[in-house]
Amino acid sequence: MSFSDVLPAAGRSDIPVRRGGGWDLLGSEISVLFRRRRTWAMLVAVALIPVLLAVAVRLSSSTLNPGEGPPFLDRVTQNGLFVGFTAMVVAIPLFLPLTIGVVAGDTIAGEAGLGTLRYLLVAPAGRVRLLLVKYAGAALFCLVATLTLTVSGALIGAALFPVGPVTLLSGDTISVTESLLRSLLVAAYVSVSLLGLSMIGLFISTLTDVPVGAMAATIVVSVVAQILDVIPQLSWLHPWLFSHYWLGFADLLRQPLDLSSFGQNAIVQVCYLAVFGALAYSRFVTKDILS
Amino acid sequence: MSRNSLKWLPAVVVPAVVVAAVIAVPLQAGAAVDLPDKTPEQVLLLVNDSTVSAFSGTVSQSSDLGLPALDLSAGMTESMQKSMAESMPEGAAESVPGESTIGALSTALELLSGSHEFRVYVGGESQSRVQIKDRMAERDVVHNGNDVWLYDSNGNAATHLSVPADFAAPAESKFAELKSQLPTDLSTPAQLAERFLSELDPSTMVSVGTDARVAGRSVYQLVLTPKAADSLVESVSIAVDSETGLPVQVTVLAEGQSAPALQVGFTAIDFAAPDADLFDFVPPTNATVTEQAIPALPDRAIGDHTEAQSPTADELPRVTGNGWSSIVEVPAAAVPAELGDNPLIDQLTSAVEGGRALTTSLMTVFLATDGRVFAGSVPLAQLQAAAE
Repeated sequence: MSFSDVLPAAGRSDIPVRRGGGWDLLGSEISVLFRRRRTWAMLVAVALIPVLLAVAVRLSSSTLNPGEGPPFLDRVTQNGLFVGFTAMVVAIPLFLPLTIGVVAGDTIAGEAGLGTLRYLLVAPAGRVRLLLVKYAGAALFCLVATLTLTVSGALIGAALFPVGPVTLLSGDTISVTESLLRSLLVAAYVSVSLLGLSMIGLFISTLTDVPVGAMAATIVVSVVAQILDVIPQLSWLHPWLFSHYWLGFADLLRQPLDLSSFGQNAIVQVCYLAVFGALAYSRFVTKDILS
Repeated sequence: MSRNSLKWLPAVVVPAVVVAAVIAVPLQAGAAVDLPDKTPEQVLLLVNDSTVSAFSGTVSQSSDLGLPALDLSAGMTESMQKSMAESMPEGAAESVPGESTIGALSTALELLSGSHEFRVYVGGESQSRVQIKDRMAERDVVHNGNDVWLYDSNGNAATHLSVPADFAAPAESKFAELKSQLPTDLSTPAQLAERFLSELDPSTMVSVGTDARVAGRSVYQLVLTPKAADSLVESVSIAVDSETGLPVQVTVLAEGQSAPALQVGFTAIDFAAPDADLFDFVPPTNATVTEQAIPALPDRAIGDHTEAQSPTADELPRVTGNGWSSIVEVPAAAVPAELGDNPLIDQLTSAVEGGRALTTSLMTVFLATDGRVFAGSVPLAQLQAAAE
C-alpha cells in the first residue's frame, strides 16, 4: 500500500542500477540543495520569524493580557522558551508551506527547466531512484526548516527573556530539559505534517517544465486545503485534509503527553505519500523527457 | 502503449486502495458484536454492580441540535469570545449579574454546539480530572479530596475552591442532591446515563438494542423510547460496557433527524488507575489565582425544588404534563429582568406568534410577550397552547 511497496516491482522494469548509485545521487542532491543561495535565504527567513517576534515583544512597552495575540505570546516575557512555540503557530499556516512549495515544486521541474533532467537520467540512476532522491531531499528540508525555527526560537528566547520551568496547557509545570524535549517533539510533529504537502509538490513538479508554476501550484494547494478546512459543510472531509492536523501539536503541550494526534497526523500524511507518490511515479516514468 | 498503461496502474490502484482502507477501517471497528442476550433489567443491574472506580479515557461530545444560525465558534470572532471571557473572571461572575448571564449562556452554548473532546481521569471517589481540549488551549477541572481547581490556559487563570473537611459531608450530600436535578451535567457519560436512568417511569419503553462496539469495548445498548408521541426525543441509547458495566456512551436521537442530536462517549478508555500526580494540581507561578469560597447552600436552594415550602407561589416554576412531554413554565416574576435586553437572546430566538421562540431538535423554549418563559421537549405549538 505504501509507496515503497509499489516501487521495487516497477524499478526492475527500468534501467538496472548499481548498488550505491542512489546514495551518491542522494548525497549530491542534498549538497546541491543546501548549497543553493535560495535554500539559505529561506532558512534565514524561517529563523527570523522567532527573532522578529521576540524583539517586537522585548521592545514594546505594553504588556499583553493573557490570551491576547497569537497563542503563548503573552507568556513570552515570563519565559523565553515560549518564543519557539509562538513562532511555530505563526509559521505553520503560510510560511512553512511556502518554503516547502518552493523546494518541492522545484524538484523535477527545476531540472527540466534548466535542461539538466536528461543528463541526470543518462547516469545509471533510473527515474524511480531520481524521484526517491528528490523526495528525500525535500523531506530533509522540512526537517531542517522546522529545526531551524525551533533552535532559533530557543536561542533568541533565552537571550532576551528569562528562562525557567514551562507551564503546559494543562496548567502543569515541566522542567527546562523536558520542555526542550517537547520542543523537539513539536519540531518532529511539524516536519511530519509537511511530508504530505512535499509529495504533492513533487507530483506537481513532474507535471510541468516550469518550476515557478509547480511552486505556485503547491502553495495554492496548501492554501486551498486550509480554506476547505474551515468550511463547516465539508466537515466529513476535514479529517482527511493534509492540513487538518497542522496545529494539532498543541496535544504535545498537554499533561499527560498525548501522542494520539501525532499518530492520526502520521496516518493522514502516509495516505498522501502513497496516493501522490503513486501519481508522481506513474507520471514521471511515462513522461517524455525532452529537456 | 500497453507498457505505458501498465505504468499508470499504480496511479489508479494506490488511491483506490487508500480510499478503500479509509472506508473499511471504521466499518471493521463497528463490525457486528454478538453478546449473550440480556434483558433491560439485567443490563441495569450490570450498571448498578459496576465496581469501576478508576479509569482514564478520551471522551468526545458532538451535538447537532439544529440551533439557529449562530455558530459561536465561527460567528463570534475569537477576540470577542476572549474579551467576553475576560470581562467575567470566574470569581467576579456573581457580582455582575448581567455579564454572568451572557458568559454562562455563551459557555453553555459553546459546549452544546459543535463537537468537543475531553480527557477524563478518575482515580477513585475523591480524585478526578477533566480536561477540555480546545484549539491551542485547554480548560481543566481537577478535584482532589477537599480541593477543586479550575484552570483556563487561555487566560492563564486558576480558581481554587476548597471544601473544609467538616463542611464536606453535608455539602457533598447537597451537591449530590442538586447534581441529580441538574439536566446539564454532561461531564462524563456515567453522569448523563444516571440522569436518564432516574427518569425511567411508566412513560418510557426500555429495551436492549443491538450489541455494538464503543471505544474498542463490546457494549449492550439500553434504548429508552418515550411513549408520548409528541416528544421531540425519539430515543436515548446508553451503551454499557459488557465487561465492567460502565456506561461508555450516551446517544440522544431527535424525532425526524438521522444524525444524533447529542452524543457523549468514550473514544478510548483504559481501566488502569491514572498516575496520582495528575490530581496534584499546583497552579503555575505566574497564573492569576482566585480563591473562591464554597457558596453556603441555604436550605432554600433545595426547598425550591422539593416544592415543600413556597416563599412566593408566583415565583416558582410550574410543571404541566408529565413524562417526556412535560412543560416547565417560569412565571414572569422569576425571570431575570436583563434577559430581555440580552443581545444573545435576540440572535438565538426568532419572533413567533405571541412572543419569541428558540427551537432546537430536542428542546423548545418560548418567551411569551408577558414575560413568562415556557420550555419543554415538545413542538412549539404545544408551548404556545400552554401559554394561553
